[in-house]
Amino acid sequence: MSGEAFLSIENVAMHFGGLHALDDVSFEVERGSVLGLIGPNGSGKTTLMNIVSGVFKPTYGSVRFNGKRIADVPTYAVCRLGIARTFQVVKPFANLTVRENVAVGAMYGRNGGRRSANASFERAQELLEIVGLARVADRHASDLTIPDRKRLEVAKALALDPEVLLLDEVMAGLNATEVDEALDLLRTVNGRGVTLIVVEHLMKAIVSISTTIVVLAEGKKIAQGAPAEVLASPRVIEAYLGTRYANRQRQREAQP
Amino acid sequence: MQLFWQDLVNGILVGGIFAVVALGFSLVWGIMNIINLAHGSFVMLGAYTAYVLFSTWNVDPFLSIPVAFVLLFVFGYCVQRFVINFVVRAPILTTFLLTFGLSLLIVNFALLVFHGDVKGITTQYSGSNFSIGSVTIAWVKLWTLLVALVITALMQLWLTRSKTGRAIRAMAMDIDAAQLSGVRVAHLYAVVFGLGAGLAGAAGVLVSLSYSLQPSMGDPFVITAFVVCVLGGLGSVQGALVGGLIFGVLEAFGSQYIGTGLQDAVALVVLLIVLILRPRGLLGKAGA
Amino acid sequence: MRPGRALGALGGITGNANALRVTVAILILMVFVPMLHSGYYENLGRGVLMFATLSLGWNLIGGYTGYVSFGNVVFFGLGSYTTAALWQHWHQQSIVLAVICAMVVGVAFALVLGMPILRLRGHYFGIATLGIALATQEIVSNVDWLGAGSGFTVRPVDAYSTYYYAMWIVCAASMLATYLIARSKLGYAFVAIRENEEAAAVLGVDPTRYKVIAWAISAAMAAAAGAVFAGANGFIDPPTAFALDNNVFPIVMVILGGVGTVAGPLVGALILTAINETLWSHFPQIHTLFFGAVIVVVVVFLPRGILWLFNTRGGWKGVAGSLGAYRV
Repeated sequence: MSGEAFLSIENVAMHFGGLHALDDVSFEVERGSVLGLIGPNGSGKTTLMNIVSGVFKPTYGSVRFNGKRIADVPTYAVCRLGIARTFQVVKPFANLTVRENVAVGAMYGRNGGRRSANASFERAQELLEIVGLARVADRHASDLTIPDRKRLEVAKALALDPEVLLLDEVMAGLNATEVDEALDLLRTVNGRGVTLIVVEHLMKAIVSISTTIVVLAEGKKIAQGAPAEVLASPRVIEAYLGTRYANRQRQREAQP
Repeated sequence: MQLFWQDLVNGILVGGIFAVVALGFSLVWGIMNIINLAHGSFVMLGAYTAYVLFSTWNVDPFLSIPVAFVLLFVFGYCVQRFVINFVVRAPILTTFLLTFGLSLLIVNFALLVFHGDVKGITTQYSGSNFSIGSVTIAWVKLWTLLVALVITALMQLWLTRSKTGRAIRAMAMDIDAAQLSGVRVAHLYAVVFGLGAGLAGAAGVLVSLSYSLQPSMGDPFVITAFVVCVLGGLGSVQGALVGGLIFGVLEAFGSQYIGTGLQDAVALVVLLIVLILRPRGLLGKAGA
Repeated sequence: MRPGRALGALGGITGNANALRVTVAILILMVFVPMLHSGYYENLGRGVLMFATLSLGWNLIGGYTGYVSFGNVVFFGLGSYTTAALWQHWHQQSIVLAVICAMVVGVAFALVLGMPILRLRGHYFGIATLGIALATQEIVSNVDWLGAGSGFTVRPVDAYSTYYYAMWIVCAASMLATYLIARSKLGYAFVAIRENEEAAAVLGVDPTRYKVIAWAISAAMAAAAGAVFAGANGFIDPPTAFALDNNVFPIVMVILGGVGTVAGPLVGALILTAINETLWSHFPQIHTLFFGAVIVVVVVFLPRGILWLFNTRGGWKGVAGSLGAYRV
């Protein structure tokens, strides 16, 4: 293993005035893995995502990617870092077709400078096939169903040729079948060599796809490790389900 | 040095008018997210209301203020309810252009009715003034400022104390929540727009006391209102007042040291500087 | 198999392909107008070409990029004054020189002013441009080197129809430029900004940079039109150079013809000029009044332009639908 970590979050803290959104959060992400980021509402997950993608500058600490610090980066320069992100509220370019939506990313993303307009459209078509949107390539983005819009989000992010893809609650609003399809897609993407950081509320989904899970609560990291061990951790249970439940659980386990 | 104080006083006196103009503009912008490019034409209509009342029945302009307010309120209410409402939630381009078109309509209508020649209102007290030290103050301008302050105060009271005023502020915060709570949004939107127009009309009367009238007189006021809102922050009565006063003073000094006839240039430079340095306005949030 | 550029119902971002072909045909036919030997038609045609160019310019920043400029007339005015100054101070009559210098002036102005004001969102840009137009007119009225309030005469080139052909070339070049841009990466950057500026930034588009580029190109077009106009008109003063008509009409023309399409500006210019001429002859007093009404009607009922009515996604049902979508 090489000396430098792929992506490391080092003692990151984010203070908004008196509000401590994040305090002393540290962990490393291995290249090619899938990191699940979970925690109750308000635990700082989105703030952390903003910091990792360079949108916020942490009050303390830093994020290092391929050895380089990610500092205050204007939004349009983030993709050049090799980091891409999907957003909870998907907002596609409504009056453009699905293919055109993805092509914009291919034109202006990390490798966009070297691509002509035609090459960008070809790349967009490739990506549409991967995410399963080839059948609606010529439809206007505003006509898509919710699951398809999410696929489009992923395709657009992939068009930026990222090394790391941050997925912010991409499963929200999907039914059980759609979730399974989404998980398959994520596995495919990961299989192509893209490291994933997935923020999700859906436990089943996170467990099935993550190699490592990091748990945040009230801005602090309270657990990190393989899915099974993290979810069994009493601290995690307490954070999610409250102290009383955790105590009852302990009592139950203590009984013979 | 004497010029400095004279300019300062003149600036404050005219600043009151700017404040009232900006207040109406700010309400509509802050609550409905509409930048009303026809606002200047409402000011013009208010001025001409005073002119008509004065020249036909010799009504003192100060007494025309409530009349202009009511007339413009009704006009604004109807315009919003029956025209602008169709596109009130559309993207900016649409409402921009619509109000721009309305402005053309109104100004050209006035041109037809009143013709393009310059008119004015001269009352018995128009020329009288008094002096404090070496500074001369025209009585008319002083009264104008006082009336402007009164109007601003009344507006603030109404918005915070009255039932309708509070409903409007609730609506501004979250239109869907307000609608679900039974607030009649369409009606209230029209009320807000009517208020904006009414305030512009009142300001127009004040303008007519000290300045000459022409159908195109309203155009610079849109820029003024915009600059004041940016200076003072959006959606706050105090902001409009302070912004108006500051802008009045800036214009007075600008006229003195850069030359008259360049008011628009001064306004623009001020606008650019503020936008570049402090996009949120000096006092509050300067809007989306 | 090469995937074609997506040609959805609206014809991709170049616009309906058939409309474009017809419009280009009309443009080509317009070359022959001077051969009618009618001063009236030549003036009219030159006017159409001038407005079409102004509209094409506005279309780039307002239509494709979604940043409504209420002050593009300032570039037209600066272009006019460039021609006037070249004649008055350096006795240069060459149209080509005038157009080139005018474009340089226009682009420089747009770059310098654009950097600060395009950093902001739509609202501010719109009013700031209005302010710029008004302020520039004021400033020019006070500068003696530019003729102050009384303006300059410009001695026209002897062959009068030269100006017609010059305007035609400027218009055709602008339309070609729009077409090429719409098909290129640049065009997609503009449209992405219009559709969702934040999402565009996430995809790597630097909004300020591309907004400034769009505005600069629109400035070049307007300035070129102004440069030719000054020579044809023979006289330039602040009210003529910065005329409100030249500011407002292009916007209405683009909306009527179809925002964000290549053919729209010329289509709109043709229709509105025809209507304007009819009105002038019958109701000279109310023609600006009429334009106010046109703007209101077009904005409320036809926000996507007249071609929308003939579109499968549009039609009268589309009109009714859009009426309902935005109201409270």
